[in-house]
Amino acid sequence: MNVVDEYLGDTHGNVGSGRAVGLIRAYLPIVIAAVLIALIPLRYQDSRSMMSVITVGVLFACYAVAFNIIFGSTGQLFLCSGALAGIGGYGAAILADRSGWPIPLALVTATVIAALVAGTLSWIAVRRALDTIFIGIVTIAFALSFENLVLGKGDWTGGESGLRVSTGSDSWLTGQIAPYYVFLGLLVVYLVVFRALQRSRIGWAFRALRDDGLAAELSGVDVSRYRILAGTLGGAMLGLAGGLYVFSESRASPSTFSFGNVDVSVLVMLAFGGIGSLLGPVVGAAAITWLDEFLDAVGYAQIKEMIYGAVMVVLFLGFRRGIVPMVTDLFKRKPK
Amino acid sequence: MKAVAALLDGIVLGLQYGLLGVGLTLIFGLAGVVNLAHGQIAVLGAIIVALLMGAGWAVIPAAVVGVVAAGVFLLFIDLTLMRAVYREHGEHRILLGLLLMLGISFVIDGFLNWRYPIESLTIRIGGDPVPILGVNMRTGSLLATAITIGAGAALLVFFQYTTLGRGVRSVIQDEQGARLVGINPSSVRSFVFFLSGALAGLVAVTGSMTAPQASSFGIRLTTLALIVAVVGGLGSVAGAFLAGILLGIIDRFASAYIGQFYTTVILLLCAAGMIVIRPSGLLGKRA
Repeated sequence: MNVVDEYLGDTHGNVGSGRAVGLIRAYLPIVIAAVLIALIPLRYQDSRSMMSVITVGVLFACYAVAFNIIFGSTGQLFLCSGALAGIGGYGAAILADRSGWPIPLALVTATVIAALVAGTLSWIAVRRALDTIFIGIVTIAFALSFENLVLGKGDWTGGESGLRVSTGSDSWLTGQIAPYYVFLGLLVVYLVVFRALQRSRIGWAFRALRDDGLAAELSGVDVSRYRILAGTLGGAMLGLAGGLYVFSESRASPSTFSFGNVDVSVLVMLAFGGIGSLLGPVVGAAAITWLDEFLDAVGYAQIKEMIYGAVMVVLFLGFRRGIVPMVTDLFKRKPK
Repeated sequence: MKAVAALLDGIVLGLQYGLLGVGLTLIFGLAGVVNLAHGQIAVLGAIIVALLMGAGWAVIPAAVVGVVAAGVFLLFIDLTLMRAVYREHGEHRILLGLLLMLGISFVIDGFLNWRYPIESLTIRIGGDPVPILGVNMRTGSLLATAITIGAGAALLVFFQYTTLGRGVRSVIQDEQGARLVGINPSSVRSFVFFLSGALAGLVAVTGSMTAPQASSFGIRLTTLALIVAVVGGLGSVAGAFLAGILLGIIDRFASAYIGQFYTTVILLLCAAGMIVIRPSGLLGKRA
């Protein structure tokens, strides 16, 4: 029993007879989740504010899947998800708006930068053999530095008030409903990547790493390579999601990418849904988005921060495996 | 002239940083918990003092109650939530402690932000500025420095010469060994949680003699405490003081010559750089 729960996947290992059955079993949860999520706007499509709420919900699910690859799969406590997404967001905004690059090129470049930064952090952590706690502190320091630089370099980033970006003719990202499906598409891609990683040789390496890094290394798993790979990939995913969000909002603002906003939410979501599980981040994001709206609706917006703190404490104290692994276990228990 | 002023200000500030870092480093050394709510607890103490003073209390009793209350709060955390942390071992223990304290920091921050969003503590110390090396130092800074040095000296004497203080050091060095010679690590830990909370409260009180301590300062103070403790070496009391003074001087020079915005970034880079180059910090023992 621990926070980084030993249990990684929910369906790996028990791939049924035949490749096709295995494939269906592995990817069916993603299809079901995607269909369910795709149906949500049927209820909310008339309300601009609700659409924006659920779009942000899907965005955070993307963040949480990316963080899950870094932390859930290889145990690197990256407390800079917001900053990495911010590098994607601000990077793309500055390149597109200030330097006049086409949006796709700006997005790709910013994503690559975020991936390189995350990969470098991972590389440093691996090279210096940093403990979880030290990775956490270095990445928090990086996240706070990023926040300070964004606020300080006002001539680049627009400081407190943020940076406006005009998306021009690429209006597919700005409408009321379209962005929701863009992020849903992104989420599906991220989930497929996560599952494909789990099922590949890399996934076996990840699991070995999580269970016992030393034993994995001794049995020939290239520990450092896989950690850096996970860091780089997760960084790219965070950067891309952040970049897309900036264009869908037509603005980049510091609070969107702050530690308190992104990292804390992602941690709570993952803790709720289940660290290391495929759909944990999605379930967690849905639950927290709902809770957020509920608190607003009943007039508790002012004490949200307090409630999230308390939720975090309760989750980590008594509920450490998260919902998804618990439910999966329930189904797995075969009658004798 | 500017340099001398920056140096003196840096030492004044650095002593405060040191005291802030000591509180964090003690708890890590003793319990393996990175207290990410350290700054919030300091602010909690400060706001209690401000409220009592607002209700007509004199400064000294209000300050004493605030400092003790901060200590009691952290003691309470030790006796309740942290019990679950102590049952864990190794990395999981550290991770659980860190995440729980992060949650608690949000509870405190959220509470202060909700009930006392514009409250802040200012303790005015009258009197004319005192010239030192040609720099006019405010009496508030000097008194704050005197109190901080007094507290630092008291800590030194405590750890060096008292049975309980030695007990604390023995538990930091080797919990098993301490148990063998009849020290109860659990009560030592509770005591240190109280001490750490009280030190946090004290920093907020002395800090308010030079600048208002607003209810939103928690995260900033936590960040500073973390930086100081990391640079000094997690678990090292002397290291925290040394790092505090160095970082205070760096802070004042950076903001005098480079600019306020970069100061925090530079301090953060000091911490990150220290972890990468020498994870044990200035005076910490090698793992």
